[in-house]
Amino acid sequence: MLSEFSKWHGIPRGSINWHPIVDPNKCTGCGLCVVTCSEKRNVFGYNKKTHKAVVLQPENCMVGCNNCEISCLWNAISYPEDISYLKNLAESLDKGALETELKEKISKSPNLLL
Amino acid sequence: MNQETKPDQTKGKMWHGVPREGMEWYPTINEDSCDGCGLCLLTCGNNVFKWSYAENRPVVALKENCVLGCTTCGKLCPEDAITFPEDPKAFIKNLVIKYKIYPEVKRELNQRLEKFPDHVVESNGVD
Repeated sequence: MLSEFSKWHGIPRGSINWHPIVDPNKCTGCGLCVVTCSEKRNVFGYNKKTHKAVVLQPENCMVGCNNCEISCLWNAISYPEDISYLKNLAESLDKGALETELKEKISKSPNLLL
Repeated sequence: MNQETKPDQTKGKMWHGVPREGMEWYPTINEDSCDGCGLCLLTCGNNVFKWSYAENRPVVALKENCVLGCTTCGKLCPEDAITFPEDPKAFIKNLVIKYKIYPEVKRELNQRLEKFPDHVVESNGVD
């Protein structure tokens, strides 16, 4: 896991159950999931012999993102948890800490101010 | 240029060989539900949101920057205050079929694997 992804708003990323799972029986190997995931996170690998996407770096997966699942026309990708899991996680975050994080992000990038 | 200072890059931006411009995909914030926690602004890597001190909450500023089919901010929003124009899965499926993107996706896949050779694997991965 990349160190910049080791925590998610203060929570250890390793404690968060959020990553794609590829069903090799449904995967057609089109590669759209592989390239939909950013180069920086690069969660997927690819098996050229079997022509299947594989999950290589699950903890690099951005919490809340399932763009790979959305893009898969064969429904070969699933996630271990649903939206209610994410909502609970988001609700558990400390509002004061989020405010601090927000101020830091805005001060680094003044163009984020309207 | 780092992610924090990324400007509106809509012009010339492509989605698997298809111009991003003109595609309708963006979040909408329900002002009545939003409690201004800012998680959407923090989680978005594309600067779709800006912070309004006047309203003390995030606003959708660069909707053209939104990743097609992405609903991450909406799924995380504790107040369920964010919506999208349509179901993301149906939206992407229509685009994939309409623009026949798979040849371009294959090129992108090969480029990705050339750039990251350790992502060419011989096992079935973690899961």
